[in-house]
Amino acid sequence: MLLLSAPFDPGALAPPRQSARAYAQVGGAVALLVAAGLGLEWAGASFALGHALASGAVHGGLLALGWLLATDAAAGWSGPVVRLGATLILVSITARLHPLGALAFLLVPGVLLLEARRQPRLRAIGLRGARPAHALAGLAAGAFLGAQLLVTASRTFGYRPQAGDLPAYLAALAYDVGANALSAEWLFRGAMFSLLWRRWAFWPAALLTTALALLRYLLDPALPHAAEARAGAVFYLGLVGLIGCALRAWSGSLLPGYLAALAFFAAYRIFAS
Amino acid sequence: MIALPVALLVAVALAMVFADQGPASVLRHLYLVPTLWAALARGAIGGGLVGALAGLLHAPVVLPAVERLGLTSQTLDGLLSLGLPIVAGLLVGRLVDGSRARAARLAAVLAIQRRLDGPEALDDKLVGVARELRAALRARRLALLVGADVRTALLACVPVGTLVDADSAAAFALATGQRVSTAELAADPRVRTDEPVGPTPLRALAVPLVSGAGVVGVMAVEWTGELSRATRAAAEELALHMGLAVENARLTLRQHRFAEELAEKVSAATARLRELDQAKTEFLSVVSHELRTPLTALQGFSELLLRSALPPDRAQRCLVYLHTEACTLGRIVGELLDLSRIEAGRPLELRPEPIDLAELIERNLEIFAAEHREHHFRWTSSGPAVALRADPDALDRMVKNLLSNAVKYSPRGGQVCVSACPAADQPGMIELAVEDDGVGIPADQLPRIFDKYVRVPHPETAAARGLGLGLSLVKALAEAHGGRVEVDSCPEKGPDFACFSRRRTWTFDLFSV
Repeated sequence: MLLLSAPFDPGALAPPRQSARAYAQVGGAVALLVAAGLGLEWAGASFALGHALASGAVHGGLLALGWLLATDAAAGWSGPVVRLGATLILVSITARLHPLGALAFLLVPGVLLLEARRQPRLRAIGLRGARPAHALAGLAAGAFLGAQLLVTASRTFGYRPQAGDLPAYLAALAYDVGANALSAEWLFRGAMFSLLWRRWAFWPAALLTTALALLRYLLDPALPHAAEARAGAVFYLGLVGLIGCALRAWSGSLLPGYLAALAFFAAYRIFAS
Repeated sequence: MIALPVALLVAVALAMVFADQGPASVLRHLYLVPTLWAALARGAIGGGLVGALAGLLHAPVVLPAVERLGLTSQTLDGLLSLGLPIVAGLLVGRLVDGSRARAARLAAVLAIQRRLDGPEALDDKLVGVARELRAALRARRLALLVGADVRTALLACVPVGTLVDADSAAAFALATGQRVSTAELAADPRVRTDEPVGPTPLRALAVPLVSGAGVVGVMAVEWTGELSRATRAAAEELALHMGLAVENARLTLRQHRFAEELAEKVSAATARLRELDQAKTEFLSVVSHELRTPLTALQGFSELLLRSALPPDRAQRCLVYLHTEACTLGRIVGELLDLSRIEAGRPLELRPEPIDLAELIERNLEIFAAEHREHHFRWTSSGPAVALRADPDALDRMVKNLLSNAVKYSPRGGQVCVSACPAADQPGMIELAVEDDGVGIPADQLPRIFDKYVRVPHPETAAARGLGLGLSLVKALAEAHGGRVEVDSCPEKGPDFACFSRRRTWTFDLFSV
């Protein structure tokens, strides 16, 4: 019991953070890459390549930001961050270059796990396995929310599932697995929520984290611009965020929340792919 | 479990679908049933979850109507019924949580009170109390440190197996009376630990236990995961109660000990009183016998002198007997008077004057040798002439009593040795020793032989006459002279009485036995 056994110094202060430079470097690199991608789009040189570069850089940046937050930019951060960012950019470009290239997104979680094996501090953000019951609960929550979305949207707005384009659907799912859901869970429910929950109670940490995640989706140019779609995004992504935080807190693992997000997006992509 | 309310919820949703009556269906009110059920069973989390599920299940019925009809009274009612289960589930669940927490606190307080109320040692009780507190607060670990100093304080830790560091947070709280609270113990810069930060925060609280006597201990609690404000408040409330309870337990223990000691003392005093009562009864019997013997002789010889014309030599012998018995009677009466003075708390009337102790002892030895021809008396004096200042009558009675005791409890032909010398280990004191080879005194009886009316029972000396006052009188007279009396005995050998006297040249006013 640490309260009894660990030495206690009431005047000790936390050491000053040395990570500002790391954040600036990552932010600068991401900004440069996004600018380069947008520049390629704007110049009309290669719209697909520019978009893929910008998208890969953003998702790579999200993973990098999560890594820095989780490890407090501990020594040796640059290698994993660069490798993760490069992987996402490459995968993103591959997905644009070939119809089956999107399957490369499925490699990203593996790469992330490989990099994380060398950094034990990442267990603190929930990067570990989950009990089957917790994983099933995550799947069930995401599936229920996705099903509810399908029923409500189809009954309310007359949306119909686009079942005809299976490759596009699978590519979107792969994108969720390796970029969209992965970066959201890694950064928002993993690094940010863990960091905030250690200082505050659950609800403030979960609400702030979910608000930031919503902001990230609302800034995403891929989000449909229709008012009902944006309102629905706020509602459902807010719920997905809160469910992800609750599952993370309940299970101590990111996996149930990740599975919930994947299940939800799997339903959502039926409309959006 | 929450599965049954969820199943009922699904059943209600299916009924709504099959009834197909739109958002205004009366069935919508049934959503409240599983919601309230879950709230009552699982609190705010259960109520909120099932309420949210109810809202989500009802939404595909309400929202199309809103889209189709706009905001009408019917759709507004539908929207209200959409949000109502969530609000009701949360509110009822919160009330349930609050009342359960309050009940748990009260139960813990009662359980603590019961556990601390027993006569067992405090450290035995504390483990049980720590278990109760841990269960009431749903903590991962809980420890109670009771005492003013961390090195000597009692520790009860659940689960067991932790030692207290003198520089720990709990020790700090104990020493300063300040509360220590942290949202993540493993990452707190004030806590030096190598324990890695886990995926779930380790919350901790060390609250001083305060009573009227100040800080009497510390309650240290560690939780994993969420720590609500209510739980923290409950911990502080229980710590407040614990401080008073610990103080009460200490007072109770002290009271128990005091009552036990008192009972022992009362029991001993009662036994002593019984002994005294019995001794007094025996004393009355003995004293009657002791008085009657010389009185009978006096009566007999005086009647003989009165009624018969005896020849002068026989009359002379009768008069000698009369004188001897009168002296015996006078000695008994004198001892009884002294005893009554002692019992009344009045000081003995002493008339100190210079005395030659050797002369006094030799005179008494001559008398005793004449009366007890079977015994052998020996007198040894070492050092310079033994001159004292004491009451001659009192000193004479002391010597006589000691010699009488020696003769009475030693066999015929036994030896009685009397010696007087300066005490080797006590400067200024004279040691007067009377030693015989009679029956010994058991060690457990030695402390009692100077008490009044006490006669140590022994088969060989059962026939010996006596009031059980002699040694008591010797002690009182010795102490009246400022001295003391000691006895040493081994079972095979008679007691060796030693008197210690402070010697001064012609003026001696203290006398020790």
